Amino acid sequence: MPKVRVVFFASLKESIGLSEYIAEVAMPLSIGELKHQLATELDKGQTLLAKGIQSSIDFEFARDADIVFDTVNEVAFFPPVTGG
Amino acid sequence: MILVQEEDFEVELLYKRLVKANKTGAVAMFVGLVRQFAEGPNEDSSFELEHYPGMTEHNLQVIVDDANARWSLLDVCVVHRVGRLHVDDQIVFVGVSATHRAEAFLACDFIMDYLKSRAAFWKKETQGIQSRWVEANTKDEKSLERWSK
Repeated sequence: MPKVRVVFFASLKESIGLSEYIAEVAMPLSIGELKHQLATELDKGQTLLAKGIQSSIDFEFARDADIVFDTVNEVAFFPPVTGG
Repeated sequence: MILVQEEDFEVELLYKRLVKANKTGAVAMFVGLVRQFAEGPNEDSSFELEHYPGMTEHNLQVIVDDANARWSLLDVCVVHRVGRLHVDDQIVFVGVSATHRAEAFLACDFIMDYLKSRAAFWKKETQGIQSRWVEANTKDEKSLERWSK
């Protein structure tokens, strides 16, 4: 099964208790599908489904409908950004 | 120039970098600082600023590229600090040089607006022994609308 590296940041990293996770997935799949898979696979993964959780594919902001292909290096999930 | 760093920055050095001999007519600069948000008399505000190495720099480059596409600019400099920051510390610097002031003001404002909502930084604030992740401000997202006109 193909693998994808998933990283978490800020409050999401703390609630899930992981900064990185290698997921085995059936590609291609959407960000939304990956999120739901992780929500059932990971302890406290349900926090991924909270409103406002954002994502990126290889450093580009992504949406739930965006597709993760097997060429993807890294997917990230994180809460809304609060810099500046 | 885009820098994400733990170290403090010197505004004067950044200003000198922005000034291009015989060309510059205006430099607009913005500096963001850590506000005092602790309420107790003996408490101090501090932040832990987390970022996503690689993505954060990429996000800032996209914003600067967008500013350069919208206005005729001579140079842009963005410095954002990460790690532990205390009240009155400098957090962020955005500087823009241009031939005329309108472009410099607008681009500086634009870059800060987008940095707030489109760059991978997260603040965790600490008051005394209590810490909490700062929630995103809906006003910040709303303020992007004026640039889409």
